[in-house]
Amino acid sequence: MTNNDKLKLAQNVAVISGVFCTVLALLLLLNFWQFSKNDPVESQALDVLVQRLKEEPNNDGLKNEIRNYDLLARKAYFNSQWQVKTGAFLLLLGAVVLAFALRVYYSLKAKIEEPEKVLENEIASRILAQKGVLIVGAVLFAVAIVASFSTVNYLEKYDWQNAVVEAPAQSVDEGIEVIDIAENVPQKEEIVENNPPKEVVDETPEVQAIDAETPVAAPAPAPEKVVAEKPAAAFTADLVKRNHNSFRGPFGQGISYCKNIPTQWDGAAGANILWKSPIPKHGYNSPVVWGDKVFVAGADNQTREVYCFNGNNGKLLWTGKADNIPGSPSSPPRVTEDTGLSAPTVTTDGQRVFAIFATGDVAAFNMDGDRVWAKNLGVPDNHYGHSSSLIVWDNKLIIQYDTNKSGRVLALNTATGEPVWDTARSSKISWASPVLAQVDGKYQVVLTADPIVAGYDVQTGKELWSVECMMGEVGPSVGYSDGVVYAANEYATLAAINIKTQEILWEEDMFLPEAASPLAHEGLLFIATSYGVLVCYDAKTGEEYWEHDVGKTLYSSPVYADGKLFMMDNDGVMRIYEFAKEMKLIAENKLGENAGTTPAFVDGRIYIRGEDNLYCIGK
Amino acid sequence: MKKLKYIFWTVAFVVLYVAASAQQQRFPKPEFESGYEQPTTITPEPRALSLEYFDVLVLLVVLSLASWLVLKKRSRQGVLWLSVFTLIYFGFYRDGCICSIGAIQNVTLSFFDPAYAISLTALLFFLLPLAFTLFFGRTFCAGACPLGAIQDLIIIKPISLPKWLNKTLGLIPYIYLSLAVLFAATGTDFIICRYDPFVGIFRMEAKFHMAVLGVSFLLMGMFVARPYCRFFCPYGVLLSWMSRFSKWHLSITPSACIQCKLCTNSCPFDAIDYPTNEKEVVKSGLGPKRFLVYAVLIPVWVAAGVFVGERTHTWLSKANPDVYLAELLISNPEIKNDPDNIDVQTFLASGKTMEPLVEEAKIIRGKFYIGSMIAGGFLGLVIGMTLLNTIVFRKRQDYLPHKGNCFSCARCVDYCPVEK
Repeated sequence: MTNNDKLKLAQNVAVISGVFCTVLALLLLLNFWQFSKNDPVESQALDVLVQRLKEEPNNDGLKNEIRNYDLLARKAYFNSQWQVKTGAFLLLLGAVVLAFALRVYYSLKAKIEEPEKVLENEIASRILAQKGVLIVGAVLFAVAIVASFSTVNYLEKYDWQNAVVEAPAQSVDEGIEVIDIAENVPQKEEIVENNPPKEVVDETPEVQAIDAETPVAAPAPAPEKVVAEKPAAAFTADLVKRNHNSFRGPFGQGISYCKNIPTQWDGAAGANILWKSPIPKHGYNSPVVWGDKVFVAGADNQTREVYCFNGNNGKLLWTGKADNIPGSPSSPPRVTEDTGLSAPTVTTDGQRVFAIFATGDVAAFNMDGDRVWAKNLGVPDNHYGHSSSLIVWDNKLIIQYDTNKSGRVLALNTATGEPVWDTARSSKISWASPVLAQVDGKYQVVLTADPIVAGYDVQTGKELWSVECMMGEVGPSVGYSDGVVYAANEYATLAAINIKTQEILWEEDMFLPEAASPLAHEGLLFIATSYGVLVCYDAKTGEEYWEHDVGKTLYSSPVYADGKLFMMDNDGVMRIYEFAKEMKLIAENKLGENAGTTPAFVDGRIYIRGEDNLYCIGK
Repeated sequence: MKKLKYIFWTVAFVVLYVAASAQQQRFPKPEFESGYEQPTTITPEPRALSLEYFDVLVLLVVLSLASWLVLKKRSRQGVLWLSVFTLIYFGFYRDGCICSIGAIQNVTLSFFDPAYAISLTALLFFLLPLAFTLFFGRTFCAGACPLGAIQDLIIIKPISLPKWLNKTLGLIPYIYLSLAVLFAATGTDFIICRYDPFVGIFRMEAKFHMAVLGVSFLLMGMFVARPYCRFFCPYGVLLSWMSRFSKWHLSITPSACIQCKLCTNSCPFDAIDYPTNEKEVVKSGLGPKRFLVYAVLIPVWVAAGVFVGERTHTWLSKANPDVYLAELLISNPEIKNDPDNIDVQTFLASGKTMEPLVEEAKIIRGKFYIGSMIAGGFLGLVIGMTLLNTIVFRKRQDYLPHKGNCFSCARCVDYCPVEK
């Protein structure tokens, strides 16, 4: 093949591939034009049919016609997509061939050029370059200056007072927002001016109902109803131990002091199931028990509720609504499905039940379901959803409020909701819950988050100690036993910290939990990993005694009760082990539905929250 | 006739890619009123760590091979085939991500955001090419960069640009680098990735304007070789710095230059420095006096840059989504009622209130205040240094590749008649 032949071949290939690409491009353009003319979503015919359906909602023939039409349009769309995809690949192929042919063509045509006799005048070129750089620099700076002068700094113009007015204006439109209800009178008046009262009443019955319930001029945190409280027994450690008043039981330590706990049941068959009741709204919080009352919470985008069940027969005694709370957002924050809007477990002091939701709403109800007080703490900036449970001690409701914005722990007066103390923490966001630890006769709140595990005085909120050892998105709360705090988190570490000296006694990173909290008791430490391994350690040395790979996700926290270890997996299977250095599986009991929550234990009974139902297990 | 041909191919390319890009649409989810629940959107699993490390290994091998081909084998053909591999692997197979150019932003963000942990892969993608360049010149640009490869392979009929234009356009990468670092440091955006003109071609999916940009670069690249690498690439700035100090850089001739001038037109990137004409230099008047004036003016340029940065920070910060949203809601409160404004509706749905948004926006603007001044000062310094550089003459007797601008593509090697 001569050079001329090669040249011709390259030229012909280039022309053919060029024509191929052009034709293909035109076909794709045609496809695009056709598609834009018949957009299935913007179809007028479909709109007409849908409109007709609104007038004749029971016309099954019409429904079928719409479905068929819609299916046809979607088929056309996906067919067109296939054509685009295939066409694009063919185009790429054509373009590669075209580029290759052109390269060959021009390289064959290329001749070594004669070296230039007169090269570019470098000096002149440099002087031109100076001018060019100067011009570009000057233009760049000038454009920037002009842009800066034509820019308005709206942030400086932000009027904080007017902003408060703006928010309710939107709330009235949406009919859900309740911020304005307990705000001061002038704000309310302004809103009414902007929105005719009649319209508000007609369109937003919720707001009207709130008006009736709440005096307009009431200050923000004031209770909505005056509730007469019954005198109750003193809230003592003994009383707490006889109940299961918070997440992971008394003091949040995962240890139950109750006896005669059942070890055999079958949810599907109903064996040893005393009752089973549906829970109206979903939530990942665990049950809490006080006397014969069982409490859980639930929420959806519309409402946030607390439920009280009769522990003896499963009857829903009352539903407390956490609604119409000043400062509550008009629509709930975005949360992930595996956390939800109601992940934190409620707590009770036997006189009131307290609940918190992902909206930052905190509400207190008396044991009869009357709302005592409610307030919003500000929507927590939490990308999964707030999940730190509440705990109560010494007339203080303790709230771990670590968000993406800041670390914070605060205590509210259980009777009024007024803040008692509020401590800023040098921590990042956390999903763990507070645990109460008794040290030298005084109770401390122990919290874990990235990067600190820290203790706080229940009375004053003062940070007593802090150890930097944690990292990541901390979900498990701490375990506590015999003056040692056990903190762990997946991808971080398992650390045993002496609460008095803050010395890290030992560390381990072989098995780490994602959600389940460590359990420490009687010299043993249990860790449950999300990938299904339950591990028993010597609490003093960190030496591993045994491990059991159950092969199921473990989000529920292990609990000690009646000399045994209770560990439930996410499929709702509870494994009961002997609480000992050697592994001995006593029983495996199926609930019959998924359950990732932590069960509650009282004398002779276990309460388990499943995906949809609340179970009472006993004989 | 020639011109007609260029026009024909140009039109063909434009039609072809515009058509492809115009097809990219999303089909909205159907709306059901029958109680049917849409399945949850599944996020694709991230690439396995082992495969990420494999990418680093591939980069290391390609860099080593490119350096060996350029410096030891002096093989243009080898570099060409290596670019083809790079284009296929890092471009089309890996979808143009991860790339060393974009890694600048990951590294920057890891310095300024304590919550951001940079992956080892991103760090190595950033560091390895720099390290290789420090020793062997820009062999990364020659054979390991997919963006460089795609442009290199479509060079059909390169034209030589005058030096002054090269110098002037050479300021753009510094501007781009300053903005990219500023936006990454303030957590605003990764603009290098967002405006990567070729990633849409690698992925066969791009927004209309990005497809047009990518195709425009390729079309321009047929005649102005590697336009993105020369006049836009922010990573090229760092590579150029490293390459100037490179210990073993590509040389046109394997031994002594015989001044045959055959290589003068060989470089499509105008990266060959000619011997200095000393007589003309002396005549030019660009002597020590002007050098002193330009040197003294450098602090003035820096001060001007800082001033401009300070003035511009408000404007620049509007690129931040939080600042933008806060200002939008302040300047136009009625927009809350606009159901079609996704930004506003998403904010309202998050349940957040205005106060924290405004606070956050103010914090970000504060970061821009400092960052813009630093960026402005840096640009002032670059302008001052570039001006100074125009009156500095280095004594050269041979035809040499410009260490900073040379992509080590080894084209010039084939033109040199001298044998080892």
